[in-house]
Amino acid sequence: MYHGPVIDCDVHHTRADDAELLPYLSRGWRDFITDRGPAGNMPLTVQDGLPNPHGFMRADTFPPGGGPPGSDYETLCRQALERGDVRRAILTFGDDSHVAGLHNPYLATELARALNDWSIDRWLSRDQRLVSSILVASQLPEEAAAEIRRHRDNPRMVQVMLVDNPHHNPFGHPLFHPIYAAAEETGRPIAIHGGAAGWANPASTGGGNISLYLEAHTLWPQVVMTHLVSFISHGVFEKFPRLRLLLIEAGAAWLPSLLWRFDTEYKGLRREVPWLRKLPSEYVAEHVWLTTQPLEISPQREQVTELLGWINGADRLCYSSDYPHWDADESNYVATRLPASWHRRVFFENALKFYGWQAADLAPAGEAALA
Amino acid sequence: MTIDVGSLEEFPEGRASVVMAGRTEVGIIRWSGAIYAISAICTHQGGPLCQGVLSARLTAGRPGEMLVDDAAPVIACPWHGWEFNVASGEAIWDPTVRIRTFPIRVTNGRVMVETETRRGH
Repeated sequence: MYHGPVIDCDVHHTRADDAELLPYLSRGWRDFITDRGPAGNMPLTVQDGLPNPHGFMRADTFPPGGGPPGSDYETLCRQALERGDVRRAILTFGDDSHVAGLHNPYLATELARALNDWSIDRWLSRDQRLVSSILVASQLPEEAAAEIRRHRDNPRMVQVMLVDNPHHNPFGHPLFHPIYAAAEETGRPIAIHGGAAGWANPASTGGGNISLYLEAHTLWPQVVMTHLVSFISHGVFEKFPRLRLLLIEAGAAWLPSLLWRFDTEYKGLRREVPWLRKLPSEYVAEHVWLTTQPLEISPQREQVTELLGWINGADRLCYSSDYPHWDADESNYVATRLPASWHRRVFFENALKFYGWQAADLAPAGEAALA
Repeated sequence: MTIDVGSLEEFPEGRASVVMAGRTEVGIIRWSGAIYAISAICTHQGGPLCQGVLSARLTAGRPGEMLVDDAAPVIACPWHGWEFNVASGEAIWDPTVRIRTFPIRVTNGRVMVETETRRGH
């Protein structure tokens, strides 16, 4: 068990319905979405995700007053914040997080802007413990960069989140660099959230299009591996040396073997990437953090601990629940899978350092809700 | 031990030539007026290092750039592509990984290699 303070790096908040978001859209886009006669509103989220046989949400997270899980502050507060001493929860949006999977780049850009304003207005204003990701529509990287800069002076918009990939190249490709320039300039880390497999356009698993949710969920880390290797190979951390990267919802135990391989390949292929000045594993050690969920389960607990030790897991992992999704990891469960000597760092201190916060500024539970 | 491995004309510019210096297989390299002697065997898996490509070192000031450092010849092992600085013997990606280099000089048109003095490991 762990009874200390917690920072939860992945809590999905969402809107109850379209009507909740419409006031945050410009008049023109609002009319475009709603003035469709009997056809109803233009769909605002990606529609082609692979269905989960259980549904994507924990059954106990549906708010008693209706609406989807994550849409009701009181329910989220009771279930995600007050089950432990949660000092901060980083909000990561629900289906709207797939905004970069929309085909229409202009609509996606407007939605990202409106969703960020909605997040500030409807959620951050209610509880000091809540902070939000900046959602960007990477279809148009320069517009995405402008959206990041728009939140420059709001310290509660804490990171830039990428989920779906609307382009044919992974996230290290220079076409994404305007986003990273803005992130570095404004002091925001980049957070790559796993889970675009089966959602994004183009399909984001190698070897072919998957067709079952079991395939998608098993291969969650594959997409993030691709983006991480791309980030380092294209020299993102040489070009933006102050940039930090958080990998969310991809697990972590795959990273040691990837880095062993990556370092080996680099030694033979350095000629292709002379802009790299360090081994890939050294860039990861300096720039990359990972969240815990979904934590890999090894037959013996010590096995996964040993693997995570190769990436200095005690100082590199940040707890995340993924509330209210069906595969969320409770903090008490994660505590049973990791050494007690790691707990305070993984549940609290690593995220504290990653986001540049001071422990004294994170009010204890019960003192955080705004009047 | 200083060993005469041949006349200078036997070693063409811009190439790695392998000779036996006593019982040691040595690669003789001429590059931009300088001459170098290195182990002909790669420190990684024992590959025939001097059958690999000899070139100027590629470098970059920023991602996407490709510059040439003519002053720093490197040789890439044909097995796995590990690149070594011909002058220092250091691997390009980690100076603690090295191939052997040997003192070499040209005296009266003859190329002389010292194989007993060990530099690198």
